Amino acid sequence: MFNKAKFLTAGSAVLAAALVSTSANAATANADARATILEQITVTKTSDLDFGTVVVGATGGNVALSSADGSVSCDAALVCSGTTTAAAFDVTGTAGETVDITVDPSVNLVSGGNSMTASLSGSDASLVLAGGDSFTVGGTLAVAANQAAGDYVGNFDVTVEYQ
Amino acid sequence: MSGFTKSLYIWAAALMLAPLPAQAAGDLLVAPTRVVLDGARGTEVILNNVGAEPATYRISLELRRMTTDGKLDEVTKEEANALEQAALSMIRYAPRRITLAPNQPQAIRIGVRPPEGLADGEYRAHMLFRAIPKARPVAPQAGEAQGLSIALTPIYGVTIPVIIRKGQLQASAAIANGRVVTDQYGAAFAFDLSRRGDKSTYGEIRVTKPGLDEPLLVARGIAVYAEVDARAVKLPVPPEIARQLTGPVKIEYFEASSAGGGLIASVQTVLK
Repeated sequence: MFNKAKFLTAGSAVLAAALVSTSANAATANADARATILEQITVTKTSDLDFGTVVVGATGGNVALSSADGSVSCDAALVCSGTTTAAAFDVTGTAGETVDITVDPSVNLVSGGNSMTASLSGSDASLVLAGGDSFTVGGTLAVAANQAAGDYVGNFDVTVEYQ
Repeated sequence: MSGFTKSLYIWAAALMLAPLPAQAAGDLLVAPTRVVLDGARGTEVILNNVGAEPATYRISLELRRMTTDGKLDEVTKEEANALEQAALSMIRYAPRRITLAPNQPQAIRIGVRPPEGLADGEYRAHMLFRAIPKARPVAPQAGEAQGLSIALTPIYGVTIPVIIRKGQLQASAAIANGRVVTDQYGAAFAFDLSRRGDKSTYGEIRVTKPGLDEPLLVARGIAVYAEVDARAVKLPVPPEIARQLTGPVKIEYFEASSAGGGLIASVQTVLK
């Protein structure tokens, strides 16, 4: 069972997993115990990508959401309102570990039969973890002239990759 | 009931250290962050739901190819070459989909079943852990008559390499062309890392400057995979470190401590 399993990494990792073997007669005091230190990665989302509300006129335009601070620059043909945020993620892992970040280059937003496209960009292509690391994703939404009103939804992939 | 599910995991350190505020469904912890198998013996990877709500995670095997600038390009199963297909077909893992309550860890068992007469070499796939997003309510909200409201859901996850080695494999590496560059992400320390042999190299980069006790830069987890003979490495550095990266420096590439920690490559250079 577990005494055959062998973990690969040891060192200055944050995660300690203690494995306690239980058996049918678990009440007896005779149990194997092992502790293994594993390198770990935690990814938590702290904010969604939110372009706020956009009111469209006869001409289209772009809404650019900065990955740096979540601020929006809105073409004059459009009216932008509401709170905007860049998507944000916290990454915790072993200090000094290098991770790559990949973000879908674009996302298709759909509302019924209508659609529009946003290009996406991340704030970092890779991180050397130093504690308290995070990255954000912003983008530019292309709104067509007379884009139909509605609630547009879309999904995009964000991946933290170990080499 | 299997031995795995009967066993009890105690997560004292992990749970206390996990960041608690602003958790969202789909947050995840994965450990370890790299798997190397060089025999019939398997291993396991821990997936933990560190979010505040139950979440369903999908575990899949993906293919990535390293480019000469060190990025990992996605490769579809249709584009897979013989080596990549062999990796996919010999790696066994379970479960592939799991719903976890908050702070509930799950072991993903990984095993290898090499086919008869498998050629010596290094085979690799990347295991992707990702939460399946919850379905959004389809009913449109009232109001906002002329407006567009936009809801974008990131589907986020982690990939870790799963590497299978068969036979006696060798590799060496060399470092050249150390430089400080600035791109759209800010300052970075870059250099070229070349590789020879029939396996990948993996380890830690240390940049030291004569007269300084501490390295200016330490970056672990730097690989040159076997599909490339050389790659550029670009490590983001804060401005205060970038300013110090001038004059003579030593760039060293060490094996990971778990693999012996030996020196793979080293170069003394003068930065402009």
